[in-house]
Amino acid sequence: MISRATLAIAVPAAPALVVVLVVLVPGRLVTLVARIAAVPTAVLAVMLAIEAMRAPGDPVVGDWLVVDVAGGLLVGVIGLVGLASVLVSQTSLDRARTSLVSPERRDRVYYAVLYAFWAILLAVPLAGNLGGAWLLVAATTAASALLVGFSGTGRALEAGWKYLVLTSLGLGVALLGIVVLAAGVPDGGLGALSWRALSGHASSDGALVAYLLLLAGLAAKIGWAPVHNWLPDAHSEAPPAVSALLSAALLPAVLLVAWRSEQTLAPVIGARTAETVLVAFGLASLAVAIPFLWRSLPWKRLLAYSSLEHMGVIALGIGFASPLALAGVAVHIVGHAIAKALGFYAAGPLLAVEPHAADRPATGLARGNPVLGTSMGVSLAALAGLPPSPLFVSEVLIVAGGFQAGRPWAAAATALLLALGFLGLAHALLETTGGRRRRRVADVAGLGTLGALASVSVVLLLALAAAAVWLPGSDLVDALAKGVS
Amino acid sequence: MSGGLVWTLVALGLAVVVVRRRSVAVALVTVQALALTAFALHDAADTDELVAAGALGLRALLLASLLLVLVARTRETRPVRARISPLARGGAAIAFALALTWLVPEIGLASRDAERAVLALVAFGIATAALRRATLFQILGIVLVENGLALSALELPGGASLAIELGVALDLLLVALVASVFHERIFAEFGAGDTAALRTLRD
Repeated sequence: MISRATLAIAVPAAPALVVVLVVLVPGRLVTLVARIAAVPTAVLAVMLAIEAMRAPGDPVVGDWLVVDVAGGLLVGVIGLVGLASVLVSQTSLDRARTSLVSPERRDRVYYAVLYAFWAILLAVPLAGNLGGAWLLVAATTAASALLVGFSGTGRALEAGWKYLVLTSLGLGVALLGIVVLAAGVPDGGLGALSWRALSGHASSDGALVAYLLLLAGLAAKIGWAPVHNWLPDAHSEAPPAVSALLSAALLPAVLLVAWRSEQTLAPVIGARTAETVLVAFGLASLAVAIPFLWRSLPWKRLLAYSSLEHMGVIALGIGFASPLALAGVAVHIVGHAIAKALGFYAAGPLLAVEPHAADRPATGLARGNPVLGTSMGVSLAALAGLPPSPLFVSEVLIVAGGFQAGRPWAAAATALLLALGFLGLAHALLETTGGRRRRRVADVAGLGTLGALASVSVVLLLALAAAAVWLPGSDLVDALAKGVS
Repeated sequence: MSGGLVWTLVALGLAVVVVRRRSVAVALVTVQALALTAFALHDAADTDELVAAGALGLRALLLASLLLVLVARTRETRPVRARISPLARGGAAIAFALALTWLVPEIGLASRDAERAVLALVAFGIATAALRRATLFQILGIVLVENGLALSALELPGGASLAIELGVALDLLLVALVASVFHERIFAEFGAGDTAALRTLRD
């Protein structure tokens, strides 16, 4: 039996090893190696997720390493989305006419950077230390910016540049928050910034300033309003597989760092104050996202604004912090990842059959191409929260959790904004699948893989919706509420 | 750290906001980082603090080399003009820095002067990135913020933090490397490292 600590080291180490492999193998084997190696990486991640959830009351909490329920959940999600992203990447690469690097080195560089990004992403939820987590989040910026701009087109360069500059400045502000925390720690050193030690050391004088700086900085990376400007551009211009990783894995992984910061510092600055900051970010993100969900937007930009909405919903759930809300958060993270990743994977074939879909809304796809239309319909229906989507259950849990937490006004505002968001996405769903068809949609490469991914996604979404009903009151939710401190 | 040195660092930061030439701005942030290195070496009490100072100095030199190579490889026929005049940029940056020092209470560094200087450098960095159109100046905005953070790590009550200095150095080098790839590609695509060309993505 492998211990959880060993497994936790193996999970990010496996994709890191693949980076070396991809760099060293002959060019014709790069794609094959990348695809084959994705399977053990994902298997290790899912094994760790299962192990973390088998003993929710007994997390591994060290100065450098944490294996708890929230981290395990995220690792499982990142593992599965990473696997699917690797599998669908080659079709998009083959379709691309330009790239940031020369054609001979294109696949090698792409897979090396993708695996580096995946390895760092897998390490973020396992970091037992605020300083270490910041460093890993900062490292994701460099790797993912390269992937966002990988096509090398003017639009991709614009998106990658905005992402790099805005998130780097944001992370600078977050680091200032960490320095303020370090100033309050008597003996200093990185070990003193471990999640378990931090709440004991942090002084109440600087802790609130540190918390605000930390969250304001991380918000730029999570894509919370009002510092979300990079998000629609990066999500829409990155290769579809990378967009899926950004939305389904990166945003919630950084959000977990914000959540752990809140849980760790709440005893010092006051739980109500700490949670109110998250509720404010959540409501602002929902309010900013809704008007865009009502507009006719190109497919990937619509999904990007939906990410802004869903990161807001998760922030609200964490901010409400009641058992019902936290159960909703767990379901929402997983459900959003499945539905959003499927939506982005559909963008590859969509752009192949309808190149104008990069600039204008896609319509009538269910009639023109059933596989593509159904995949996009499943994604959009799930993201809208149309029953039996697990996101319907999670949103109900989060709103109920808001009332349970004694925040009736915030819960009511959340319910109203979610209803408006539902109407916007429901309209987009009708237009995308059943609207007027512009022309016949031909079959293209990648539809078989998309159909398989859509089938798996439907099964997973339904299973999650069923599990969501059982989740409130379970040990898993108690563990989420306890955190790592 | 003496008040004179602290305010010299702030003055160098403000100069980056207003100067016109990219090479001058690179020299200014490098002098700033080397001044921080000299102070860190002078005050180093143990091996950790010596290593922290070494990391700071090494990243200053590596960054200067990288940025100067970038300047040389992307020669501009005429400098990218900022939308706002130098005087207005300087005024806006100073106003932002004053607002930040007024808003943020004591953060626990060795002196209030050092705290104000850190906040001023962060403000100048953000102002540089927001007010300058040239891509290289936006990279320098990030460098200014990180120099401010390096100063804060040196002014921690318990002495320099090796972890923070190493983290800042590593992060900054990675970001600068990726930014340099983008800068060169933007230059090749649009004929200038000008973010005014990067305004097509809107809703």
